[in-house]
Amino acid sequence: MSKKVENIVEFANELRWQIGDELHDHLTESIYADAAKIASASVSTENSKKSFRLDAKIDKIVTSKIWGFPIMFLVLALVLWITIIGANYPSSMLATLLLDNVHPILKSFAASIGMPWWLDGFLIDGVYLALAWVIAVMLPPMAIFFPLFTMLEDFGYLPRVAFNMDYLFKKTGAHGKQALTMSMGFGCNAAGVVATRIIDSPRERLIAIITNNFSLCNGRWPTQILIATIFIGAVVPSSLSGFASVSAVISIAILGIGFMFLSSWLLTKTVLKGEVSTFNLELPPYRPPRIWKTIYTSLIDRTLIVLWRAMVFAVPAGAIIWLISNIYIGDESIAAWIINSLDGFGLILGLNGVILLAYIVAIPANEIVIPTILMLTVMVTGISGGEGAGVMFELDSVNETATILRAGGWTLLTAVNVMLFSLLHNPCSTTIYTIYKETKSVKWTVIASLLPLIMGFVVTFLVAQIWRVF
Amino acid sequence: MSYNPIIMLILFFVFLAIFLILFRPVKGYYWILKNSLKQNKKIVIEDILKQLYHCEISDKEVGIEFLSGVLKSKDTNILEAVKEMEAKDLISTQGNSIKLNTSGREYALKIIRVHRLWEKYLAEKTGYDKKEWHDRAELMEHKLDEKATNILASELGNPMFDPHGDPIPTQTGEIVELGGVTLSSLKRYDIGKIIHIEDEPDVIYRQILAENIHIGSYIRVIENNSKRVVFYAEGEEFILAPIVAANVTVLTIDNEEEIDKDLVRLSSLKENETGEIISISKESRGEARRRLLDLGFVKGSKVSLDLTGPMNNPRGYHIKGTTIALRNEQAIHILIKKSSQNGKV
Amino acid sequence: MEKYSACDTCGHFNAQGLQKLGVKVEEVDYVIALAGNPNTGKSTVFNSLTGLRQHTGNWPGKTVIRAEGAYAYNDKKYKLIDLPGTYSLLSTSDDEEVARNFILFGKPDVTVVVVDASRLERNLNLVLQILEITDKAVLCLNLMDEAERNNISIDQRTLSRDLGIPVVATSARYNRGIPELIQTIEGVANGSIKCKAHHVINIPKNIKKATNNLVVELEKQFPKLPNKSWIALRLLQGDERIIKALESGELIVE
Repeated sequence: MSKKVENIVEFANELRWQIGDELHDHLTESIYADAAKIASASVSTENSKKSFRLDAKIDKIVTSKIWGFPIMFLVLALVLWITIIGANYPSSMLATLLLDNVHPILKSFAASIGMPWWLDGFLIDGVYLALAWVIAVMLPPMAIFFPLFTMLEDFGYLPRVAFNMDYLFKKTGAHGKQALTMSMGFGCNAAGVVATRIIDSPRERLIAIITNNFSLCNGRWPTQILIATIFIGAVVPSSLSGFASVSAVISIAILGIGFMFLSSWLLTKTVLKGEVSTFNLELPPYRPPRIWKTIYTSLIDRTLIVLWRAMVFAVPAGAIIWLISNIYIGDESIAAWIINSLDGFGLILGLNGVILLAYIVAIPANEIVIPTILMLTVMVTGISGGEGAGVMFELDSVNETATILRAGGWTLLTAVNVMLFSLLHNPCSTTIYTIYKETKSVKWTVIASLLPLIMGFVVTFLVAQIWRVF
Repeated sequence: MSYNPIIMLILFFVFLAIFLILFRPVKGYYWILKNSLKQNKKIVIEDILKQLYHCEISDKEVGIEFLSGVLKSKDTNILEAVKEMEAKDLISTQGNSIKLNTSGREYALKIIRVHRLWEKYLAEKTGYDKKEWHDRAELMEHKLDEKATNILASELGNPMFDPHGDPIPTQTGEIVELGGVTLSSLKRYDIGKIIHIEDEPDVIYRQILAENIHIGSYIRVIENNSKRVVFYAEGEEFILAPIVAANVTVLTIDNEEEIDKDLVRLSSLKENETGEIISISKESRGEARRRLLDLGFVKGSKVSLDLTGPMNNPRGYHIKGTTIALRNEQAIHILIKKSSQNGKV
Repeated sequence: MEKYSACDTCGHFNAQGLQKLGVKVEEVDYVIALAGNPNTGKSTVFNSLTGLRQHTGNWPGKTVIRAEGAYAYNDKKYKLIDLPGTYSLLSTSDDEEVARNFILFGKPDVTVVVVDASRLERNLNLVLQILEITDKAVLCLNLMDEAERNNISIDQRTLSRDLGIPVVATSARYNRGIPELIQTIEGVANGSIKCKAHHVINIPKNIKKATNNLVVELEKQFPKLPNKSWIALRLLQGDERIIKALESGELIVE
C-alpha cells in the first residue's frame, strides 16, 4: 500500500475511534429521515385503507392458523398432480415420435449409406437414443410444472408460503424460503438450486442448495411409479394395488422431505456453523399474473435452459453406455465386467451390479436409469427381448418389464431399495454443474454430491440387513 | 448367501460408534487429542499471564495451586512455566504470591486484545453462535501475531468493546476502565444499564443467554434477596439466581428521568397495536443489524403488527408501507414505544 | 392513458425514434445503469426498454446476475445494465457489492433508479444513497397503476425539485411512460437536462465533522478525486473495496 493511502486509512481509523461504532446506524437513520421529509412533501394519500384491505384479507386467510397449511398442501399437491397426469400424454407422444418412428428411420438411413455398424451404433443407438429419451421424459413435465409455479410466484403467493413454513425450517437452521426451492426441486433439482438465489443469507442458501436433491424430481417420479406398480402393487390384493403403489411413492417423497430436514440440521450443526446467517422476508403486494407472458418466460428461462444442460450431458452418457456394452475385454464386455465387480457390493446394499452401473452411467439424467437397467439386465442374463447391446429401451407393457426385472433377480427388497436409492443418491450431473456455478466452490459441490450418496448407501444397507434378519 | 446380515449390522454399528466417539463435535477424542497436542509451553505461559492480569484487576492473591487449579494443569508444569517467566522478567514471585511485571502486563494485554478482537470478529462477520465465541477465541489468542492482529482490528474498524461489553486494549496497551457494579449488589428500586455480561464460567453464561438479557438494556430492580434477583427490563420481568446476577455488570443511574419506562420489545406488540421504534439492541449485530436498518427498522419509524402466521413466529410487521416478516428472535432486539391504543400507521 | 404518454399514439416516435436492440450490445454511445429496490418492477422496465424478456418474479431479489441489453434512440445506442435489486448500498452482501461497484466504477452515463410509487419513502433510502455517489440520475416512479388503485398521488414536480433529478412516472407492465423515460434518459445522457442531486443533510454533527476532516486530507492527497465526502464516509466505515480503489487510482476521473 502506498504511503498516501496508508496515511488516509490510518487517519480514517483514528476518526472512527472518535465517532464510535454506530456510524451505520446514524447514517441509515439520517437517510431515512431525509426520505421521510421528501416523501411527505410530494405524496398525498386519500382513504388508502380501502385498497390495502384486499391484500390484507387474502393474507389473513392464506396465513391463518386454520387455513394456512391446508391451502398450501392443496396447492402443491394440485401442481404436482397436474404435472404428472398432464405430462403423460405428451411424453408418450414424444416417445413414440422420437423412439419408435425417428429412430428406425435413422437406422435405415444409416444402413442405406453403408455406415459401419460401430459408427451407426455409437451415434444412433448411443448418442441419439439418450438424447431422445431425455427430451421425451423431461420436456413435458417441466413445460407444465414451471409455468404453474411461476404463476404462483408472479401472483405473490410464494412469499406467504415461506412465511408460513419458516418456523419449521428455522428448527433445522434453514430459511422459510427453502420451502419454495424444495418445491421447485420436485420439478427439477437444477432449477431448484438456481431458485435458491431468493435466499439472501449465505448459510441458509448453502443449506438449500445442498439439500435440494432430497426433493424427488420429475426425472425420478416415473421410476418410482413404475417400480411401485410392479413390486409393491403385487404384494397386496389386486383391488388395493393401485392405492398401495401410490402410497409407496408418496411415502418416498415424504421420506425425502424428512431427509432434507435431517441434513439441514446436520449441516447447521457442523460444516456450516460459521457461515453468516440473517433473516428477512418481504411480503410483497399481490399482483395479477400475466398468463401468456409467464408461460413464455418460464419456458425460455427455466425449462429450455435446464433441458439444454441435460441434453449436453446426455450426449456423452449415451456414448458411454453404448461403448461399455460393445467394447470387449477378452470375452466380456466392459459393462459385464463392471457389473460383475459391483455385484458383491450391490448385494450387500440389497441392490445389484446392474443397478449400480446404471446409476453411474446415467448420471446425466435420472430419466435414463430405467432404460439402462433394462438393457443391461437383458444383456447380462441373456434372456430374449430388448434391442441389442448398448441400445436402451423401455416396454409399453408393465408385465413384460416385470418379467425382465424378475429374470434379473429382482425381489421385493431390490424394488424397495431401488426406490430408496433413487431418492438418495448423488444429484444428476446437470444439478452438480449448477451447484458449482451457484456456489463457485468445489468444497460445497463435493459435499452436495456425496452427502446424499452416503446416506443412500447407509439406508439401503440397513434396510437390506434388517430385511434379511427377519 | 455367504454372509450373515446380523454380523454386518453389528459391524456397521461398531464402526458408527467408533466414528462418533472420535469425531463427535467438540467432545470427540480426535478434537480433544488435537487440542491437547497444542498445549505447549507458550500457551501455558500466555494462559498464566492472562489469569494474573484478571486477578490483579480484582485484587486477588495468586499462587501456584490457584493457577494449576484454574488452568487444569499439573503443578509441576505450572512451576516450570513460572520459573521461565521469572527468568524472562515477565513476573516476580514473593513467597507464594506471584505478581505481574510491566512487560508481563503488556504481554497479557496483547493476548486479551487478540481474544476480544476475535470475539468481535466472530460476532460481526461470522454466523457462529454466541456460546462458541469464547472457546474459539481461546484458541485464536495464541495464534495471531501482532501484525495480523492490527490488520484484524482495522478491518473491524478498531472497535472499543467486545460483544460481551469488555473493553478491547489498544495497540499500545491502553484499556478503558469499565466501572459499574454487579447486578447482585443492587438494591430494590435501583435503576441502571447493563454494560457487561461475563462469559465465564460457561454454565452461568448459558443461563444468562437463555434469559435473553441484553447489553445496553435499562433495568429496574424490584426484588433482591439471598434467593433471587428480580428486575424489569424492556417491559419484561426477569428472575435470576444471585450467583448468576453476579456475572452481570450494571452502571447505576441516579436520575430516573433518563430511562424510558415505556420501552418494550417489538415482540410484545399485539395485533392492531402501533408502536414507534426507539432503538435496536446491541445484541443484534453485524450483517443482521445492517439488514434490519436497511429494511426501515430505524429510530422513529412507525410499526404495527400485520400478520401472526400459523405458528406465531415469524410475524409480519407493517413498516413504511410494506409488510416485513421478522422472527421473534429478531423482534426482541427491537425496542419500541407503544402508541396510544388504536393508533393508525 | 393519455395522461401517461402522448407519444404512445405518435407513430413517428415508435417507428423511427426507438429501436429495441435486445442483446446486441456493441459500440454503444451511452451506458445506462438500472438500479432499484427488489420488487419494484425493475426488470419489467428493463424488458420494455430492450425488448428482452427477462423473467420477472413477484419476489424480492429476483435478478441476481447482472443482465445487459440495448436499445437505440435518435441514432444513439444505449447499453442498459440491470443491476440486482437491493434495499441499500451500505451493507456488504454480494448483490449490493455488484450494484454499488457498477455505479461507482462502471461510471454509467445515467443511472435510472426504479421505485415503487406506492412505497416511495421506503424506496427513497436507496435513491438518496445513489445520489450520494452520482449526480446523473433519473427517478423512474414505477407501478403508478397500483399507486392509483391505492389512491396515492405524487407531486412529481416537488419530488423532482427536492431530489434534484428528473422524475418520470411509468407503469412498465402496461408500457406507459416508457417513451418519456427514454427521452429523459437521452436528456441526462447528452447533458441537455442538468441534475443537481440532493445530498443527505441530517447527518449527525460528529460524523459530519469527521467526514469533513477526512475530506480535507483527501483534498490534499488526491485532489482529482470526485465525490470526496462520500468516499470519506466509506473510509470511515473501513470499506476495503474503496481503500483498494484509492490505491489503484480507478476512482480518479481525468
